Amino acid sequence: MCIRPRRAYISLSLGAWIIIGIALVSTLVVLCWPIPQRRGLEFWVFSRTHADFYTPVIADWNRSAPADGVPEVNLLNISSDALCRRAMSGFLSNTPLADMMEIERSQIGQFFSGPVNDIGFTDLTDRLHKEGIDTALNEPSFGPWTSRGRVYGLPHDVHPVMLAYRADLVEAAGIDINQIETWDDFARIMKPMIQDFDGDGRPDRYLLNLWYTNPDSVEMMILQAGGNFFDAQDRLVVASETNARVLATLVSWCEGPNRIAADTPEFSASGNELRLKGFVVCSLMPDWLAGVWKSDLPKLGGKIKLRPLPTWTKGGCQTSVWGGTMLGIPKNTKDFSAAWNFVQRIYLSESVAKQLYQTTTIISPVKALWKSDFYDVPEPYFSGQAPGRLYINLAPQVPRRNSSPYNTLAKQRVLDATIALRQWAVANKTYERTALEPVAQKLLQEAQAQVQRQMNRNTFLTPGEAR
Amino acid sequence: MRCRLSPKTAPYVFIAPFILVFCIFTAYPLIQSMFLSATQTYGPKSSTFVGMANFQYLLADPFFWKALKNTAIFAAASVFIQLPCALGLALLLNRSDLKGRAFMRLVFFSPSLVGLVFVAIIFGLIFEKRTGLLNVTAHRLMPTFNIDFPWLQEYVMPALIIASLWMYVGFNMVYFLAALQNVSKDLLEAAAVDGAGPWHRFWHITVPAIRPVATFVVLLSLIGSFQLFELPYILLGNSAGPENQGLTVVMYLYQTGFEIGDLGYASAIGWLIAILLGVFAVTQRLLAKGEE
Repeated sequence: MCIRPRRAYISLSLGAWIIIGIALVSTLVVLCWPIPQRRGLEFWVFSRTHADFYTPVIADWNRSAPADGVPEVNLLNISSDALCRRAMSGFLSNTPLADMMEIERSQIGQFFSGPVNDIGFTDLTDRLHKEGIDTALNEPSFGPWTSRGRVYGLPHDVHPVMLAYRADLVEAAGIDINQIETWDDFARIMKPMIQDFDGDGRPDRYLLNLWYTNPDSVEMMILQAGGNFFDAQDRLVVASETNARVLATLVSWCEGPNRIAADTPEFSASGNELRLKGFVVCSLMPDWLAGVWKSDLPKLGGKIKLRPLPTWTKGGCQTSVWGGTMLGIPKNTKDFSAAWNFVQRIYLSESVAKQLYQTTTIISPVKALWKSDFYDVPEPYFSGQAPGRLYINLAPQVPRRNSSPYNTLAKQRVLDATIALRQWAVANKTYERTALEPVAQKLLQEAQAQVQRQMNRNTFLTPGEAR
Repeated sequence: MRCRLSPKTAPYVFIAPFILVFCIFTAYPLIQSMFLSATQTYGPKSSTFVGMANFQYLLADPFFWKALKNTAIFAAASVFIQLPCALGLALLLNRSDLKGRAFMRLVFFSPSLVGLVFVAIIFGLIFEKRTGLLNVTAHRLMPTFNIDFPWLQEYVMPALIIASLWMYVGFNMVYFLAALQNVSKDLLEAAAVDGAGPWHRFWHITVPAIRPVATFVVLLSLIGSFQLFELPYILLGNSAGPENQGLTVVMYLYQTGFEIGDLGYASAIGWLIAILLGVFAVTQRLLAKGEE
């Protein structure tokens, strides 16, 4: 820059002009750069397994798409958190998004916390009813995707839970697992398998992979016992007697003289190592986890068997539910009918259900498909059992879950109550379930009050709608 | 072509691009978040003015206080454990008779080159029960040590402090080392000649000389501690850990805004954090002025 004080003016130097020139040219380039137009329908998923599975299905669809006059589908795999943040931003600002997106159950609440008119997904209720899909699918599978009586997504799965056990270890111990009906039977009959191999005074084998700090395990057991965090009208029911009994039981399983459970987390190298070593004999296994084990723990092939969960009371529910995915169509999709056709193809057709089961061990929520032969094929990994048939036998018992925006919060507060109960048990050296139940009840009442306090702040969910 | 600007207007023209960017990306969002903190909102279409209700709720919110307490404990550990360790290392590496100083400097500094997310993942493996490096090593050295010692269940804060100690001690050491290298050697020699022992030389000459840098490092540590998020979030598996032992104020803001979707309340939390950090900065300025 050259300053010329005599004339009280400055002129720009060559360098300054170059900088300005570059800024102008780059601005023009950015403005004129052609934005690639999205061709066809965009489909977002959050799971690599789902993406790998859908790729050939979409390739098939796209091959026939031009001839059928339907748009092509482009698949995009994004992490679940990122997908939901983008979706929320798009819904709130009304900017273009994908035409179809899969959402995981733990993330759905945030989409339902505002006024019903602001939910970004298309309300499918009437269409599902008109086309008979609402009765064709497993009814509880709609639960997580229903808000204020309206359904906003098509369920991908059922996800019943079974008990996977190390058949090699159980049979070597001479235990007849068929004698087990309830969880009390389980603890009593299987107890001889808890062993201290190295003599250090600490067992090196426990009966059950379940820990009081795992929110999914706590929720799963509560659902199996008939408890829940919200009732059918989405009213908070955290402080129920059933929930208190489950918490007291879980703590008695994890601490004290009757400890039967240990922590071997899923999806971790250390957890897998412990499973291979036989540190735990049994695990709670939804259908999707069976597929994960086949891929991540091939060395357990032929050593695993499945059976229904022991019940909380005689004749009680033999399964629970863990996880879940829906496919939703945003309101601002470019072509709803094409998106709906595609959704039906990948979620409701037999050929895709067969591929889904064979690739991931996940059973379809379409009840008519449950009779299919492919679910009866024995698998060497599960010691010759047909896991598909075993899961389908339990599917009608799967507990219904809610879609409250406050479910994650309630789950967290119930977990806090479980941890506090365990601390109380250790501090007071009291590990009997009956002694823990009143304390659990009190802690759950506090948890309920905390969640209710948070819910009361929400002015968009009017009383009777979600409270 | 010549463009002429008066010397009075030229500076404004030159800072205009920054002002423009600042207004769009900093000032406007700041003002907007102030309005947001006084609303209950679900996107721009659905917003209800609630006045100071979010702040009132915040002051009575036990989880916010838990988060603040955790953050304060972490900040205190940063100042009272991490910084003395960093100073100790700097004093060690400032000794001219120490061999391999450059190598050790690199070794101590290198953890801060690793991303926080990687540190969290590595320490997650180290703190594992039964299979973690720490428990397995301790159990082998002392068979009575519980191999199932639950670091990430019952000792979350010590685990976080250990992980951050490993990461940041070397980083802060560099500041102290730079400050120590500027301490007058003449003064130290004169004091030694006058019979001052190592402790007196350190306390009466070294400490006053490095005080401005130390004050700055303390402020940086406090601000860094109040921004703590990734380390506990990744280490504890995208959660605050059992009983919210790893819940920090920024994590609570994130959970409230992006997991529960309560952006108004999250803005109120953000403003309270900003006020706290502002208080720290002003205190540091006042302390620095006092020293001048």
